[in-house]
Amino acid sequence: MSNENNHFSDKVIVTNILNGNIQDFAMIVKSTEKLVTQVVRKMTTNVDDQMDLVQDIYLKAYQNLPSFKFKSKLSTWIANIAYNTTVNYLQKKRIPIIGIENTIENNFTITDNPELATIKTEAVEILNAEIDKLPPLHKTLIHLYHLENLPIKEISAIINLPEGTIKSYLSRARKTLKDNINHHFKNEYYEK
Amino acid sequence: MSIMKSNHLTDEILQAYLLKEIEDDAIAKHLAECSICRAKLENYQYLVNNIQKIEYKTFSFNVTTVVMAKIVQYERQTNRNKELVFWGLLTFTFILIASLAIPFIPKILTLFYPKSIFTTLLLIVTGLVVFLFLLADINQQYKMKEEKIFKNNLQPIL
Repeated sequence: MSNENNHFSDKVIVTNILNGNIQDFAMIVKSTEKLVTQVVRKMTTNVDDQMDLVQDIYLKAYQNLPSFKFKSKLSTWIANIAYNTTVNYLQKKRIPIIGIENTIENNFTITDNPELATIKTEAVEILNAEIDKLPPLHKTLIHLYHLENLPIKEISAIINLPEGTIKSYLSRARKTLKDNINHHFKNEYYEK
Repeated sequence: MSIMKSNHLTDEILQAYLLKEIEDDAIAKHLAECSICRAKLENYQYLVNNIQKIEYKTFSFNVTTVVMAKIVQYERQTNRNKELVFWGLLTFTFILIASLAIPFIPKILTLFYPKSIFTTLLLIVTGLVVFLFLLADINQQYKMKEEKIFKNNLQPIL
């Protein structure tokens, strides 16, 4: 029901914009900026480039609005434009979107869980830093799945990759994060 | 997909089990017996919980403002281009008609010779009134469109 309402309000807004009320486009920006921000922020670091990218993404969405057929949610369509535009930017800058991860080999045996006591305090900060070290695509996937709570199907529509590949990348990203965080706390534990 | 590797559950299986993507009694049974897999699962549980605690960071700039500024700039540029094309085509058409009409000018002028001054003046005034009316109408329509498009664009009504 909620999806139908969203779909309906999307249609009303798009029709208004196409009839010349371009200030209504601000409503689309407001409702999708969080998703676009996640994609752009996780894949790029330069603030000037991010501003240009955000403008380009929404300009493309605005220019192509007449061709939007409501086959997907408007937010998914815009997030897809955001992803493709950002990937093109990274390709121009020759930055790999699936780079070699900073994986630390999990070559120690866990006999107990010493890290769990400490993990609670600094965990979020460390995790944030570790997420930032992930390749751009893995970072984006982690945020879309765990923070935006988007279903795999929708992420697949945004990223243009099969659902199985998305699941595999997510699994790999989580393993990398777990190993790196474990390694971090192991080091701290043994240093003490 | 094999669920076991060296007598332990694989990372993929542990994650899928944690995220309730799969449900299997064999996995639950193994976890109850294996402390190593249980510890791994706890680590993943903490990881997922902590990812959800990460605060959403925004850009240092206001997205709506910069985007709407770009859209307005684009619309202005597009309208300017459309205007240029319109006036260009109009000028071209006028020149074309005028150049094609040159051989007929003497014949057109002869239409006015036998008429009285009153009739000639009436024709000229009617032509001028129609021209001014069309000009005023075009101008009014242009202003209405401009107002509709650009009024309060940088302060969106939400």
